[in-house]
Amino acid sequence: MSSLIPPSPFDVEAARRHLASARGPVFWRSLEELADNDGFLRWLHQEQPQLAQALSVDRRGFLQFMAASLALAGLSACGHPPQDQIVPYVHAPEGQIDGLPRFFATTLLRDEYAQGVLVENRMGRPTKVEGNPQHPASLGATDIFAQAAVLQLWDPERSQTVMNRGVTSSWDAFAAAAAQATERHLRDGGKRMRILTGAMTSPTLSAQLGAMLERFPGATWHVHQTLGNANARAGARLALGVPLATRLRLDRAKTILSLDADFLNDPTAGVRYARDYAATRTPEGNPGTPSRLYVVESTPSVTGGMADHRLALETDRLERFVGLLARGLGIDIEVPDEADAQQVRWLSALLADLKSNRGASLIVVGASQAPWVHGLGHLLNAALGNIGTTIEYTDPVERNVEQAASVADLVAAMRAGQVDTLWILDGNPAYDAPAHLRFADVLTQVPHVIHLGLYRNETGMLAEWHLPTAHQLECWSDARAYDGTASIGQPLIAPLYDGRSPAQVLAMVLGQNLQGRALVRQQWQQQLPDETAFNAALQQGVIPNTALPPRTASVSATFLAQVKLGPTAGTALELLFRADPTIGDGAWSNNGWLQELPKPLTQLTWDNAALVSPALAAQHQLRNGDVIELRLGQQMLAAPVWIMPGQAARSVTLHLGYGRRQAGRVGDGRGVDAYQLRSQSNPWGESGLQIRATGTRYELASTQHHFNLEGRDLLRVGTWAQLRTDPHFATAADPYRGKPPSLYADRPPGEYAWGMSIDLNACIGCKACTIACQSENNIPVVGKEEVQRGREMHWIRVDRYYEGDAANPRAYSQPVPCMMCEHAPCEVVCPVEATVHDDEGLNVQVYNRCVGTRFCSNNCPYKVRRFNFLQYADNSTESLKAQRNPEVTVRRRGVMEKCTYCTQRIQSAHIEADKQDRRIRDGEILTACQAVCPTQAIRFGDIADATSAVAQAKASARNYVMLGELNTRPRTSYLARLRNPNPLLGEDPP
Amino acid sequence: MQLSMLVIALLVIVVGFVWRAAMAYPAGVREALEQPIPFSHKHHVGDDGIDCRYCHSSVEKSAFAGIPPLSTCMTCHSQLYTDQAVLAPLLAAYRSGIAFHWQRLHKLPDFVYFNHSIHISKGVGCVSCHGQIDQMPLTARVAPLTMQWCLDCHRNPEAQLRPADQVFNLDWKPPNSSVSGPQLLRAYHIDKRRLTDCSVCHR
Repeated sequence: MSSLIPPSPFDVEAARRHLASARGPVFWRSLEELADNDGFLRWLHQEQPQLAQALSVDRRGFLQFMAASLALAGLSACGHPPQDQIVPYVHAPEGQIDGLPRFFATTLLRDEYAQGVLVENRMGRPTKVEGNPQHPASLGATDIFAQAAVLQLWDPERSQTVMNRGVTSSWDAFAAAAAQATERHLRDGGKRMRILTGAMTSPTLSAQLGAMLERFPGATWHVHQTLGNANARAGARLALGVPLATRLRLDRAKTILSLDADFLNDPTAGVRYARDYAATRTPEGNPGTPSRLYVVESTPSVTGGMADHRLALETDRLERFVGLLARGLGIDIEVPDEADAQQVRWLSALLADLKSNRGASLIVVGASQAPWVHGLGHLLNAALGNIGTTIEYTDPVERNVEQAASVADLVAAMRAGQVDTLWILDGNPAYDAPAHLRFADVLTQVPHVIHLGLYRNETGMLAEWHLPTAHQLECWSDARAYDGTASIGQPLIAPLYDGRSPAQVLAMVLGQNLQGRALVRQQWQQQLPDETAFNAALQQGVIPNTALPPRTASVSATFLAQVKLGPTAGTALELLFRADPTIGDGAWSNNGWLQELPKPLTQLTWDNAALVSPALAAQHQLRNGDVIELRLGQQMLAAPVWIMPGQAARSVTLHLGYGRRQAGRVGDGRGVDAYQLRSQSNPWGESGLQIRATGTRYELASTQHHFNLEGRDLLRVGTWAQLRTDPHFATAADPYRGKPPSLYADRPPGEYAWGMSIDLNACIGCKACTIACQSENNIPVVGKEEVQRGREMHWIRVDRYYEGDAANPRAYSQPVPCMMCEHAPCEVVCPVEATVHDDEGLNVQVYNRCVGTRFCSNNCPYKVRRFNFLQYADNSTESLKAQRNPEVTVRRRGVMEKCTYCTQRIQSAHIEADKQDRRIRDGEILTACQAVCPTQAIRFGDIADATSAVAQAKASARNYVMLGELNTRPRTSYLARLRNPNPLLGEDPP
Repeated sequence: MQLSMLVIALLVIVVGFVWRAAMAYPAGVREALEQPIPFSHKHHVGDDGIDCRYCHSSVEKSAFAGIPPLSTCMTCHSQLYTDQAVLAPLLAAYRSGIAFHWQRLHKLPDFVYFNHSIHISKGVGCVSCHGQIDQMPLTARVAPLTMQWCLDCHRNPEAQLRPADQVFNLDWKPPNSSVSGPQLLRAYHIDKRRLTDCSVCHR
């Protein structure tokens, strides 16, 4: 691949010319495509040869090859299939019906906050995660991390045994050592003992930690969060006097302003917020006015992609913008008036919108913003009368972090030799603590380090004792959600390895009962006094009445006197740090599903990159994949470049979580370690960045060119105003009406007619569907090299389109599963009838017939078929076998596969309904992508039943099908995206 | 030329035989396998009259008919024949908590998804696939379990249907299947069009 000619550097002028010469809306996927259409296609075919480079063999060679294959086939087939054995239970598990899945409510953690889930258990094996409809942070949906939790559970590279100085040890040996340490520390009240944790929402753990600090009054508790919400907390302290937590009520908001806040993809409440937001934006059955979303941000986010109006500003300009906004709302703040014409227009329109929606507007400040911006956000919301309506304050959900010391204090104490024993309760500070603290070096000076973790990571390797944590699906736990609702985590399986929960480990030191269930049960003794109540809470997945009540708070503007904003630096670059969209802060590095999931917006897989604006790229003559040197103060790091449309001109973004050294086979050595540039002063970014091109290149694997649209009209976008005047705008340009005549005979209708509707107006592009599908359908991970060849196997991809100027384009997402064409082009070209129609309209792929000609894939206009070029499915790793869904065939090399509408779920529902001699109810079948979708963008069901949700969605005026002119009659259709631009701002600039 | 054609034809035949041999079951039709305990369906079903569902308890609810846990065996055998040598593996397994392994007789390829419960509820008797199991001292497979064999019935299910109360009766014979078959097909609401869809068995 390196011998290929890389695309030419991004040419801003060419892109502008291309856009100016186009008529009608122009959607584009990548900058290369935008700048140079002909050259792009040439390069694309070179870069993604796919089938172009098919083996060229003459007839004689082919016959020789065939003969050799046959001979080999004969040799290798000398043997029977292995004799299977059946192992009966000695005592059958209570309540289990062999072969049927059972679902258990439990709790998964994301950044220590609870997400309520239902986990599918098949004969004792957790195989799939679904959301818990009863849980306020889930409402039945989940994010990508909850989906990937089952793969993490079965990851063979998880830490398996207790390690003492790199030698396999045992819990008993550790218990003896811990008892000695306890005795030692009790003598001086634990002065030389430190405990390092992350944020903590678990009431049980929090109580145990309290007991520890009571028992060792001299000990110090330190908190280390890689990003966390320290700024928000400090901001609340400034404006409200107390560090209250903020809860958004997006369902009540009409005008929303996000200040670098990616609330739709928020780690703690994103799933819930996305649902609330989407509900205000669905025209069908929603007579009120839709909400309008303004986003001002430095680096593009999922929320920014949904904005009706988006402004790309660097952090310093963003702060001044907020200052001007505050002044416009009558708040006295010292701010230089640097706004350009666009900002002035924007500000006046935004102010008018906010003021006309008092009490129904909402200003959200991102976790990355400085404390005073958060404080100002509270003042603005108060000035607009939003407090108590669109914004609610509650007591903090986490254990009071204000009592904890920082990781910097810990390093200082370690350096001074004041630490004898350091407990690290989960986390990886040797990798992710601010680089200049040199945590890893200092850690080796501490005599006794006890590290508890799911993996023996960079920190675990340096610790005297490494203790394996039981996975969240293997142990008892509890946690609070974003609104304070507490829920219990119950084990779905006994620990696969020798792991124990953090609560059990603390119980060892405290001399408590070691049974995980007893620990949690005791913690909730008051709320859940007896077994019946406890079991009911377990079954619900929520402990009743534990949500935190809204609190009143009065705002004070006195802190603004300290805020003095000077003029912006002008040309200085800034480097921003953000958690990686798919592997987080590095905790999920060893998860193949998440590594291979194309990251929202960049569509990159397996790597991080320095995201630069098109203007900066043009200035430095950079192409995607050029390696640049990033210099921040004394620190230096080389990273490949990714040109990011919509990035603020002087901002460079680097995602954290890559460059791991002790993650495991999947995560090691991928990408660059952004932590090396990060200092204590601001974990979210710093100004003063210098960049320099190195002249070397690095191959990034992005899927944005794969399955290219070649200028076809696949995406339809309109505005709310348009919907009123011209409701059928989505299909207005179609050259046909209804069902044009076809050469192929129509099939007689079956008992049901399965179909799907995808609402592009609701889709935020979070990609939870892709990973839920991967989990449900045993879709293999192929690795970076294969992704570069365009061979990723995802059955439902999420295409990302841009519209408008590359400096700040509008972004759209479009999930693309199989269209299930009624007149399917793939079927007529299959020589062995491996892809055929069934009576209910499914275009089915019969793996045992498929001989791998790939004709079907070539003839599919939607490019939704995936071919097993190699043996991608791992058939040798035992624990990964246990993860698989037994209801779906694991495909072999040489077989074509594609979306089946989760045919296994259809068949299960069919069998249940047929047994009871009734029809399948609407909503009884949820496809995996539909179930996981936070915004309920996907509907599935019987389109022949006019009352079904999917039929009603398809009856919408916004309904359209992809490439309808081909008369393939897809069963999957789309609802056009709607934007709600402010008439004062008009269409241009966005 | 003719010689080479002959060689190719021979090759094809040889490959065909090798293929068939490779794909065949370890144990053929009507061939019993050596099991850790020589369990007799004849004794338990034929002589004692134990209902199929007493042991295969999930057959009406799940794809899998269910292999009884050892505790089910012990409902009787904690009292009966406890001193017999042939039952020693059962008692040893029950005491130790480590089960012995039965040799599997009925196995479908991994891409085939057979479901017991729907066949039972739509009136296909056990005997249709498992034969007169009440007369087998040692259990053997009676059906080839090939796709051809499955399709014979899926194309023409009438011949194998019986009233719901006769599904587990191994001796029941249809009085006149050419009349009762189509009647039962209607009564069970069986949609014959669907029965040969690939998606019914393959996922």
